[in-house]
Amino acid sequence: MTPTTTRSHPVIDCAELTTREINQKLKALASEGIPQADLDNPAGRHNLGVGLEQPIHLVFHGPVGYYCGGLSDGSTVEVMGPCGWSVGENLMSGQITIHGNASANSGASAHGGKIAILGNSGPRTAISLKGATVIVAGDVGHSSAFMMQDGRFIICGNAGSNLGDSIYQGEIFVGGEIHSLGADAKLTPMTEADWHTLETELSPLGLTARDYDFKKIICAQELYHFKAKDFSKWKDAY
Amino acid sequence: MCGIAGIIYRDSKQSEKLGADLISIIQPLESRGPDSCGVAFYSDSATGSKPIKLIVRSDEPPSDRIRSSLHDWLRQVAPVQSIDIVADSYRILLNPVEDLRFDLKPFMQSLHQRFPMLHFMSAGHQLEIFKEVGEVQNLVSKYSLSPFTGSHGIAHTRMATESTVDLDHCHPFTSSYDLSIVHNGQLSNYYRLRFQLERAGIVFETHNDSEAIAHYVYYQLLQGLTLEETLEKFLTEVDGVYTFLLATPEKVALVRDQFAAKPAVIYETDEKVAIASEYRAFLNMPGFDPSATIREPDASEINVWTVGAHQRQPQLSTLGAK
Repeated sequence: MTPTTTRSHPVIDCAELTTREINQKLKALASEGIPQADLDNPAGRHNLGVGLEQPIHLVFHGPVGYYCGGLSDGSTVEVMGPCGWSVGENLMSGQITIHGNASANSGASAHGGKIAILGNSGPRTAISLKGATVIVAGDVGHSSAFMMQDGRFIICGNAGSNLGDSIYQGEIFVGGEIHSLGADAKLTPMTEADWHTLETELSPLGLTARDYDFKKIICAQELYHFKAKDFSKWKDAY
Repeated sequence: MCGIAGIIYRDSKQSEKLGADLISIIQPLESRGPDSCGVAFYSDSATGSKPIKLIVRSDEPPSDRIRSSLHDWLRQVAPVQSIDIVADSYRILLNPVEDLRFDLKPFMQSLHQRFPMLHFMSAGHQLEIFKEVGEVQNLVSKYSLSPFTGSHGIAHTRMATESTVDLDHCHPFTSSYDLSIVHNGQLSNYYRLRFQLERAGIVFETHNDSEAIAHYVYYQLLQGLTLEETLEKFLTEVDGVYTFLLATPEKVALVRDQFAAKPAVIYETDEKVAIASEYRAFLNMPGFDPSATIREPDASEINVWTVGAHQRQPQLSTLGAK
């Protein structure tokens, strides 16, 4: 870990504070217009850096627990390590970058902004995504993008079973293999505009879109007007 | 929400650390389950004739008077080696006799009839269960658990969802000699499962759905299934959200339901395997190695570790190809 003396930004040692104190301190720093804060010893604790409504750049030097960076509007978060469940849950805007693996439910219900996971992400990644962009450099688990309502979900690796189950809107890109698609999700041909979008999204993360065999998944819209006689379209859902 | 934890040593030299190691990882999980706590320790398997240990908890402060009448009563069924008072419990050692494996259920019932203030906790050559409503620290100091030695153990912190908060509804649950489970989750088909097991003659002690896991496993083992077959069958027959740890003298199993709805993290080094609901629980473990293999089991994944085995890979099974 970098010695605190060489860092020009405020450094918070999480070990000395309660989670509430850490988050209040971060809010105070953001409202003072401090551009960046470094956080040491996050030690897998939950709810770190949540609910920030003013811009600030946070760097967590170590693993974080559940809900990291969630509910925020405009802050940017970098985690130098893995993260627990529901990273960036309900994110409104800003960016969260995880330099490691993520657990389940990453980017759950995120409305805006960007969540980039540079490792793998667990089951139910981007569940109920409402408009944010979720990028996973590795694989994602089963039931990812379940009930996705809007936004963009880019998976460079493989996707587990039931990808995009009951998707309403938005687009999913998978660079690897798809174990299975969920109800009402369908493959659609990639266009030049899609490749351009992927290049724009992935190049800041040091990833090259053309290195992957991207496939695009959207909503088949067969369940928009569901009738009981069409039960077969729905029966494979949970 | 509940917290579960387990420790399995690959090397018997580690066994004196069991109490301290297991408590270090269950303590941080108190936030997941503040209402009660319990541990199941397995002492090292000794060769030769081993006494059977019975842990019996008393509602009243234990007394020498009860101890001697317990001694006289037990002597009718088996030679009593010793009865020690540990806090509010009696730790009974029965000398092994050919064909002593007396049936636990009738024993528990007659124990409770004869001594209504006593609650059966565990029985076995290796297993000892201690549990308590309240904080982890209370349990640890009450029974002096930190110096406890053994080859493996599992632990639980409970946040009650479906049944009452009292001593009998705390985890770990046991259903036979040396068999214990701790569970995080809810079983959706508990009542059907309970009905089926009761039809087969199983007697339930509590209304906690986790108890059904212990009985289900014991019942299937009685039918001749191996532990691995039992757990695969469990995944197909038991509905709900669950991550549970099951321990026997030889093995420890970790089972996750097909939606992976309840968390678990596995830590592995050449010395030991540790399992906890959350990563942060490992950080205070003595000798924590950040470079160890730390992973999450997948949905429908069954991990079975053999206690004291040196190979790194657990026996793995993943059903349903989720």
